[in-house]
Amino acid sequence: MSATAPAASIPDYGVRFLRSVRTAVDGGLDPVAAAEAASADLPKALRDAVERMARRLRGEYHEDEWGFDEEFAEAAYPFFELLYDQWWRVDAAGVGNVPAHGRAMLVSNHAGSLFPFDASMITGAIMKEHPLPRWPRFMVLDWAFSLPFLSAFMRKVGGVPASPHNATRILRDDGLMMVFPEGVKGTGKPFAERYRLQRFGRGGFVEVALRTGSPIVPVAVVGSEEIYPKIADSSWLARLIGAPYAPITPTFPWLGLLGLVPLPSKWRIEFCEPIQIGDLGPDAADDRQLVFEISEQVRETIQQKLYENLVKRGSAFV
Amino acid sequence: MGAGRRILIAGVGTHWGTELALRLERDPGVEHVIGLDTTPPLAQLERTEFLEADIRNPLLARLLPSTGADTLVHTGILWYPEPGKPQRALHDINVIGTLQLLAACERTASLERVVLRGSAAIYGCEPTGPSFFTESMANDFPLRTRFQRDIGELEGYFANFARRHSRLTCCMLRYQPEIGPGLDAPIAHYLSLPVVPTQLGFDPRLQLVHADDATGALHAATMNPIRGAVNVAPSGSISLSRALRLIERPQMPIPHPLFGPAMARLGDRLGAGSLYGDAVRLLRYGRGVDNARLRTELGYEPRFDAVAAIRDFAAADRGLRLVPAIGVGSVLDRIAGAR
Repeated sequence: MSATAPAASIPDYGVRFLRSVRTAVDGGLDPVAAAEAASADLPKALRDAVERMARRLRGEYHEDEWGFDEEFAEAAYPFFELLYDQWWRVDAAGVGNVPAHGRAMLVSNHAGSLFPFDASMITGAIMKEHPLPRWPRFMVLDWAFSLPFLSAFMRKVGGVPASPHNATRILRDDGLMMVFPEGVKGTGKPFAERYRLQRFGRGGFVEVALRTGSPIVPVAVVGSEEIYPKIADSSWLARLIGAPYAPITPTFPWLGLLGLVPLPSKWRIEFCEPIQIGDLGPDAADDRQLVFEISEQVRETIQQKLYENLVKRGSAFV
Repeated sequence: MGAGRRILIAGVGTHWGTELALRLERDPGVEHVIGLDTTPPLAQLERTEFLEADIRNPLLARLLPSTGADTLVHTGILWYPEPGKPQRALHDINVIGTLQLLAACERTASLERVVLRGSAAIYGCEPTGPSFFTESMANDFPLRTRFQRDIGELEGYFANFARRHSRLTCCMLRYQPEIGPGLDAPIAHYLSLPVVPTQLGFDPRLQLVHADDATGALHAATMNPIRGAVNVAPSGSISLSRALRLIERPQMPIPHPLFGPAMARLGDRLGAGSLYGDAVRLLRYGRGVDNARLRTELGYEPRFDAVAAIRDFAAADRGLRLVPAIGVGSVLDRIAGAR
């Protein structure tokens, strides 16, 4: 014979909440203020959520000068965490090589033809495994910033249009900058060439790192190549939508939206020892030979770590 | 003769020309203020000598030397049409007018400084590229709108003029759009619409200069100009969606290809007028400029950052608004023209 008082169930709270919002609106409050007032008798977690929502609707939140919105990024984080833990079972090593403070440049290989998820997974590795996590900023292919929704989303979670000026400014402000020197050549390469690093542009990232005196942390990402294996390219479709390439994968576009679900490959991310180039001084950026040498050194480090981690990973999917 | 400055304001009949004249009149270092325009100043000026003349008139070359001015400030570059200055006259006023004015400057021996109130539209509004343009990045992107091309042409002439007359200090101010309580400008009208049309899926980063800082920077540049271009912008940036939340305006997202035509059609009905210049692109991709040169070299520290400028606008706007309720019905009524 248990005589516990029946705890108010969630629907009860909901009904009571909506009723008091209604009363307050009838009393002349605007809906947001009404919801805030009505949240007084909700459980704390719900009350906080309502309060946060009302605050955001009033515009009372912080954005930095790049449009990065930390609260928004935190709200989007659980989705990426799910991908990180469950879908791709990411194994991260050497996160401690990412400096906890001060400027630093993360340089990584780039893959994943439809949506390169590597930036989000590197961010996930830092946020989850680093003892002193901080949000990195990442360079996004120009084209993405001309698209609706994607452009706004990318900016709010820390994306920045790919430009050496932007990288320089973020590093000068002691930020953590993530760059993908392969660019489109990396994401757009066919599946048969997976894990073979493409040309590292003109070494512009090294120039920026030298000018700002930032250490370079090479990052090798294994697993990103298998999420959307690009088996063909539709050049007319690419031209039609103005995209740099239009990938055809075993599932896309055949399965429609379902084809956008990435394959559950197994991932490994390794952060290598930082390459300290601060003592070379900013003028070293004008030395083409040196820039190419450092660029090649970074490229080789990543390539070697890619092969090592491919062996360590074994099978791609299980 | 006193040691004070003699300053000539071309375009004193514009909002910014009048504001500058008001500040200069209060400045003890200024001996004489001369205002030049086809229309009289917008406010009662006490010690400004008003010359009614058109900068497009060649007679200017004879008028200018007789003023004995040591500084010329040109505030008559228009971003959008005004009463009596229709859209098709803008090119004439902005480019040909400035050209004539600069030609007249060549004959004025007393002149030491020339300041132009230009626009940051020279950088364009680009989805790609730098998020903060510095003054050296003016030619990075093609000029896409008519206003941009006018500004580009103007800057070209001015840079040439500065090169040929190295004894003159020539300063080009590149303004981001202004905002302020009660400011009569398309972007301010746009932001105070009862429901604000936005472009679906886009949330541009904006930097709107507070009207106080716009005049303050102009005053600072007039007194101590530096050579070359200077961006006039607040520090930081704010996204359009956050700005609208602070101003308490709901947005009405429209697919972006329809936004320009919709604003052209509905703008007048809604009371905002059309959006001019590069405003449609500005409200899609946004634009940020670096204001380090303004703060460190010109020595003007903006009082409002990008967020504070919007907050100030919102506070005044809230005070003005008598009826807080925004009904979708009333907006539809206004669109239908049945106020």
